[in-house]
Amino acid sequence: MSVLSHASDVGLELPEFACQFTLAHFKRGDEATIHTDMAAAQREGLPAPVATGPQVAALIFRQLRTCFGRGWIEGGRCELTFRRPVYVTDFCVARGLVRRREESAEGIRLHCDVWIENQAGEKVIVGTASGLVS
Amino acid sequence: MEEQRARVAEDAHGRRAEFDDIVVGQVLGEMDWVVTEQMIDTQCAIDADYDVWYSLSSPWGGRIAPPQISYRPPRWLLSRAFNVRGLFYRWEMENVRPIRPGVTLHVIARVSDKYVKNEREFIVYEAEATDPDHQVVFRTRRTHVLDFVERTAQRAGSGIDSGVKAERI
Repeated sequence: MSVLSHASDVGLELPEFACQFTLAHFKRGDEATIHTDMAAAQREGLPAPVATGPQVAALIFRQLRTCFGRGWIEGGRCELTFRRPVYVTDFCVARGLVRRREESAEGIRLHCDVWIENQAGEKVIVGTASGLVS
Repeated sequence: MEEQRARVAEDAHGRRAEFDDIVVGQVLGEMDWVVTEQMIDTQCAIDADYDVWYSLSSPWGGRIAPPQISYRPPRWLLSRAFNVRGLFYRWEMENVRPIRPGVTLHVIARVSDKYVKNEREFIVYEAEATDPDHQVVFRTRRTHVLDFVERTAQRAGSGIDSGVKAERI
């Protein structure tokens, strides 16, 4: 079951996936990292511990699996840019919309704009993603 | 008085890699990697990403792993070659086939570019994973910035954290 199909229109908004991150999301044992420890982060020039990029991007991956289903697992593509740090207590929401439809030998591919906003509405991750639809 | 900013010079895993150490075209290494059911459970928990396909069964027969589990092996290969703490800047991924538990994947990675932007140093590397039938399972291309601090800052001091991590999910 997937949200998108060959009949999905360009401009369709993708479902949103959100998370209120906490320090606990990034703890791995007692290790002091730039993701969990103020001193470790500041030593690298960061003002505070930052979230791990892949864990934040996972909101987009949930979105894409929900939208494309099999078309994400087989043939899914994405290009994400981490534009600014996400701090470990930020609220993040993944958003997106269908941008373009492409017909090719492998089938119908929908190209989407995807991004993650923080609680201030700043786009912290931006990119494109695509998948095959039936 | 303005605070002196420095780029970390070393950490528990030794001297941090310098921009000049990075050679475009260099093979970072290769490894065989088998995803286990436990790894899938852990990845789903880390990402709070639960799905019947990941936890119970899928159209491919049995469970599959969330595609983003592919993040780690290429990063491990980078860490084996270079001590880069870095921050993730760009992630390109292509999911060609499902990642299934118990299947040995062969992963190879190489440095594909490096550049300077906004006074910061970036390294680009790419990796490909194939299954025992030599079919591609995933491809990826990553960009990491070596330091959050500008390249004009001198290197000094020890980092508390390191980009070199235990090779586990």
